[in-house]
Amino acid sequence: MKAKKQKRQGDFQKVQLKVGKKKPKADNATNVNFRSKAIHLPEQLKHVDSGPTKHRQLDIMDLLSKLHHINSNIKQGALVGLRELLSAQPSMIELHASAVLSEVAALFTDKDGSVRAAAVRLLRFITQCIPAERVVPFFPLLSAHLTCAMTHISEAIQEDALRVLDVLLEHYPGLLSQRHTVLLTNFLELISQKRKAATGQDKSGKGGFALTISTNRSVTAQQWRLTVLLRLGSFLQAVVEERPLDEGVTSSIGLGMWAGEKGSVTSVDVSWEEHVFGKGRIQVFENSGAVPTPHSAYRLRPDSKAGAGMNKELCSAETVQGFAGTLVPLLLEIWVEAAGGDHVQTDSGHLLSAEAMALMFQILTILQLLRRVSPHRDQKDILDAWFRNSYLADFKHHFMKNFPYGLLEVARHKKKADGKRIRQQVAAGTVAGGNVEPLALNVTLCQVMVTLSLRGQDHVEAEDADWLGTIRVFIRETLSNGGKLSSKHLAALLEVVWRMIVTQRSRVVTDDLLQAVYVQYQQRNLAVSVRSLLLCFFSQFYIQEHQNHPHIARSRILARWLASLPVQLVQLGSRNPQLSAQLLETIHPAAARGNKDLLQSLQKNACSIYDPQEGCVVVLPVESQKRLVQILHSLPAFPAELLACLSQVCNTGRVSASLATMLIRTIHLRSPLCGWSSSSQDVPVKDVDYLSFFFTTLTGFSSEMLQALQDTDEDSLLPSSILSPLSVFATTLEQFLHHWDIVEEVCHCLDTLGSRAQCFDVIQNAIIKNLCGLVVVPDCVCAAILRCVPRLLDVNFLPSDTLLHFLSDCCLSMLNLLLQLEQSAHKRDAVWEACFAALSTVPRLLRLVLQSFRVCDLCEEELPVLAQILSLLLQHTQLHLTVHTHIWLLMTAHIHFSFHFYGGETREQWLTDLLYCYSVTLFGHRANMGMRDIY
Amino acid sequence: MSAPVEVVLSADSAGQLFNCAVFDPHSGSEFLSYRGGNTSSRSLTVLNGEYILGAQLGKNFINVWEIQRKDQLQQKIVCPGIVTCLCASPDGLYVLAGIAEAIYLWEMSTGNLLAILSRHYQDVSCIRFTDDSSHFVSGGKDNLALIWNLSSVVQLDSSRTPEPCHILSRHSLPITDIHCGLMGPQARVATASLDQTVKVWEVSSGEMLLSVLFDVGIMSVTFDPCEYFLFCGGSDGNIFQVSLCSTSLSRDKTFQTDSDGNQVFKGHRNLVTCLSVSMDGTLLLSGSNDETVRMWDVQSKQCIWSINHKGHVTNAVIIPAPANMFLADSHPAVPLPRFSRHLNPSEQGDGTGSGGMCLRLGASTQHFGLKTTDFKPLKCNRQQKRTHFACF
Repeated sequence: MKAKKQKRQGDFQKVQLKVGKKKPKADNATNVNFRSKAIHLPEQLKHVDSGPTKHRQLDIMDLLSKLHHINSNIKQGALVGLRELLSAQPSMIELHASAVLSEVAALFTDKDGSVRAAAVRLLRFITQCIPAERVVPFFPLLSAHLTCAMTHISEAIQEDALRVLDVLLEHYPGLLSQRHTVLLTNFLELISQKRKAATGQDKSGKGGFALTISTNRSVTAQQWRLTVLLRLGSFLQAVVEERPLDEGVTSSIGLGMWAGEKGSVTSVDVSWEEHVFGKGRIQVFENSGAVPTPHSAYRLRPDSKAGAGMNKELCSAETVQGFAGTLVPLLLEIWVEAAGGDHVQTDSGHLLSAEAMALMFQILTILQLLRRVSPHRDQKDILDAWFRNSYLADFKHHFMKNFPYGLLEVARHKKKADGKRIRQQVAAGTVAGGNVEPLALNVTLCQVMVTLSLRGQDHVEAEDADWLGTIRVFIRETLSNGGKLSSKHLAALLEVVWRMIVTQRSRVVTDDLLQAVYVQYQQRNLAVSVRSLLLCFFSQFYIQEHQNHPHIARSRILARWLASLPVQLVQLGSRNPQLSAQLLETIHPAAARGNKDLLQSLQKNACSIYDPQEGCVVVLPVESQKRLVQILHSLPAFPAELLACLSQVCNTGRVSASLATMLIRTIHLRSPLCGWSSSSQDVPVKDVDYLSFFFTTLTGFSSEMLQALQDTDEDSLLPSSILSPLSVFATTLEQFLHHWDIVEEVCHCLDTLGSRAQCFDVIQNAIIKNLCGLVVVPDCVCAAILRCVPRLLDVNFLPSDTLLHFLSDCCLSMLNLLLQLEQSAHKRDAVWEACFAALSTVPRLLRLVLQSFRVCDLCEEELPVLAQILSLLLQHTQLHLTVHTHIWLLMTAHIHFSFHFYGGETREQWLTDLLYCYSVTLFGHRANMGMRDIY
Repeated sequence: MSAPVEVVLSADSAGQLFNCAVFDPHSGSEFLSYRGGNTSSRSLTVLNGEYILGAQLGKNFINVWEIQRKDQLQQKIVCPGIVTCLCASPDGLYVLAGIAEAIYLWEMSTGNLLAILSRHYQDVSCIRFTDDSSHFVSGGKDNLALIWNLSSVVQLDSSRTPEPCHILSRHSLPITDIHCGLMGPQARVATASLDQTVKVWEVSSGEMLLSVLFDVGIMSVTFDPCEYFLFCGGSDGNIFQVSLCSTSLSRDKTFQTDSDGNQVFKGHRNLVTCLSVSMDGTLLLSGSNDETVRMWDVQSKQCIWSINHKGHVTNAVIIPAPANMFLADSHPAVPLPRFSRHLNPSEQGDGTGSGGMCLRLGASTQHFGLKTTDFKPLKCNRQQKRTHFACF
């Protein structure tokens, strides 16, 4: 019972929970010691299109729609936002170009200034990103809004319209210039208004417009006009520059034409080698085609498509006249105001304030541009004549009254109020593109006025004399007062000089002006650009105008300038190759045209130009060297010293071999011996000089150099021996090959001379006299002689014994050298070719060579060499016929060899070779004999 | 034997055997020879198929033969200076002569000297007409070649000195030869020069189309009639053939290697001074300073025959055989007038002395497009008039 109780107690034991003790865990408690993984989403997913394409939660469509908001602040904000958004996402610009451009353009005429400014900024940003060809479809809209803004009643909007114009001009000048019909009228309306027809003021000859003066602008009327004129100027500039270039070489008188002829057809240039090896494929018919180029002078049928419609209206003189008829009176009015507004007193009328000067400069620039707008030359002449008829009196009266203008020194420290005004002016001036120098103004004035002077009519010259005289004095003084001119001003001045000389046709004027230019030219330390500009002026002036105008042809200054050119070339040396090349560009045609002054001077300086040490012909780059060689064609005479120089130039290796051959050919052609120049009475190259030139070039060494060689003992000297009777001076490979090319050309030239026997006689004498006594001979000389003699040898002419002995010595030495040459196959071939030609062509030479072997005197080391030479000779079947006549010689040699070596155990390789060759030869010989016996 | 279609006319500087001679282009056998004097380079020309004109070497006159009377020198035209080159227009109305730096233009119907053009700075070396006689090209030792419009040169407006319509100034050394292609004012002109280049130009625009640089100076140049090939005679005696319409790299072309020598005619040993191609483009005639005239087959580049002369060959040309050449009893339709030596515009109006009347375009009527059509009736008129006067 008790035990039962205990058991029962054990089953249901009560757990005593005590304070401070941990509660034991229940058996069925859940273990929570596990971890679970989760995806954290800190933010909600966004819509695909939004995000970076938004600006402050607004996408591009929202921003665009905000541009229509009534509040200008919101509009401005939207514009700024658009700019930021687009700069962050440049790809969106192209996507939304049409929407953005049309909305922005609409804001050009917004009445709030800050909105307009923001619109211009945005426009500027967009134009940077979109190239002109992509804007084409939207441009009509843009320009319509621009026109709208320019003709707006509010003046502030007009001013901002000019900013828009600036932006468009900067990026799309071509597109803008197509809109000239509308824009030009807009410009006029900006500074003027239509006169009422009823007032009938046309009797004064002025156009239908009158200048407007509005008092409520932020700037003065003058400044306003200046800004407008600046834009007009740059617009016209764009029109001139963006014209389709189909007019080709419009020979206006100006620096532009100095660039020389530029063909619209790209010509094909190939060289013969390329063509031969199939690289230069020529398709002339593809190139020019069956249709003549648009450049052609022929207009077989009216060309309906010409000009592509774009500048059609502005091309004709009539349209320009129409526009100019309105504009020029306005410009004159502005001029009068600018000139007279500041200073009524007449004594200092030529002094102008900076602002007036800028204005005047702008007026003159526009006048100049107006003339250039029309592309065709004949129309230019029409325009010039029209300007002259309509406005010469006005121009003379207004422009020339106080002609050389100067800058008025404004008394800056007079008053504080004054200072403030100046600051304003300066601000305006910077807007207007900087202050204008008085020189620039004066030069432009000259340019404009000079275009009014017509060429060639005598009765006009008298009336023009007064104002042209003033201009002439100004130009002369500007050029000759010793001051340095910038190349821009100088170019303009030279243009004026050119035009004046051509139109005035007077020798006095020509010399007067050219003298002034020449003074400028003679200054020291000119900048290179200025120097080459002056050079260019003179040279083009000479080349283009010389023939047409006798007064220019007779000019002393031009003659003096031409005569000074060779001297300058010598003095310049290698310091400035570009300038030298430019000098040569004038010297060459002038020499080709037979200009006496130049040729005299050239003749005098020829020896220094063609000096082999430091003459131009060796120090200048290849192109100039080539020109110098070409100039030789027109040199009147070749004295002996010059020929000596030229011969050395050929041989020193400082000009390329091809150029040297050109030089040799030139001398050859100039000589009467060549028989090309038929009817020349004077003899440029004497026959004696000609032959000595060719002989010197052939040897390649002057007599002094050869003499000096006799006494040296250098390493490159091969000592003489029985097998090499001459001591050979081995030249470098480069020199040898260079000389080899020249020898080829010399031989060719001598070959074509009329009487071969005489020519050979002369060469033989020269060799005997100059070379035969030598002990040390350069290898290239030997090779040259060996090559030249067989080529020039006439069949009926027997060479003298002295020459033959010398030749045999040369030949033997060369054969000896041949065996030692391992470094260059080219040189070995050349040497062997020369020896072979001599041995096979010159009679008795082979026998002499063989006789001189003297086998018995040879030491043992030389025998292998001899054997090699013999086997070389035997291997060439062309020599066999001659060889077999000297078979007895070989027999003795054979016996000698056998005697020496057959007893020994070692048979050397060279001996085996020799015996083999010998037996082959002998066998062939016997076979021939046998055949002959049979038949 | 039927009369040949084409004949070879050649002359040399020695003039020992003949002044100039006519050969058969196929066999090289001599037909005729004209005696008396010798002829200078590029100055032998056939006028209107009735006369042969050749400038005497180093003297100031021009020898004239009637084409059928080979032994008898017809007359000598005395000129103001040594004639350096001579050319008759293909229509037989004008004769041009280069005399020192100037070009003289005579009208054949009257013998009047119409113009003296002095735009060259040095001796004129070569003059050529286009095939329709509307233009001519002159080349000189001053490195310039000038293209002239004949109608603007002969116009009556004496106040203006005639200007060339184009100045070709890209050569850097004297011009040695000129060849005018066919097609009148739309022709192409090839100029050869000592500066080792041959350049091809367009007459109408004066643009350069092609420049080929060689390694020797070029002394003579010609096209074949189709202008497929340009032949250039070098100063080393080689004749180079430049293909002007090479097809792009087609299949059969790649297999055939254009090795050197494939496009060179080799045989002459000295300057090649004259080149001429036959009407059908298969034969090439060349004359050289090595005193031979050679005929080549263009296709195979083989020399067919060669004739030895006694001096430098100065002229060698293949011409269509003139009708009168082989008819011994024929007469020229028009007697040759006396050539005047001086420019005398006042005499031109009456025209009584020479029995002809001078018709020329005034300045106002001159139009480029009209030019070719204008000249045709003019020519007819003049010839009618000439025959008319000849009957008297």
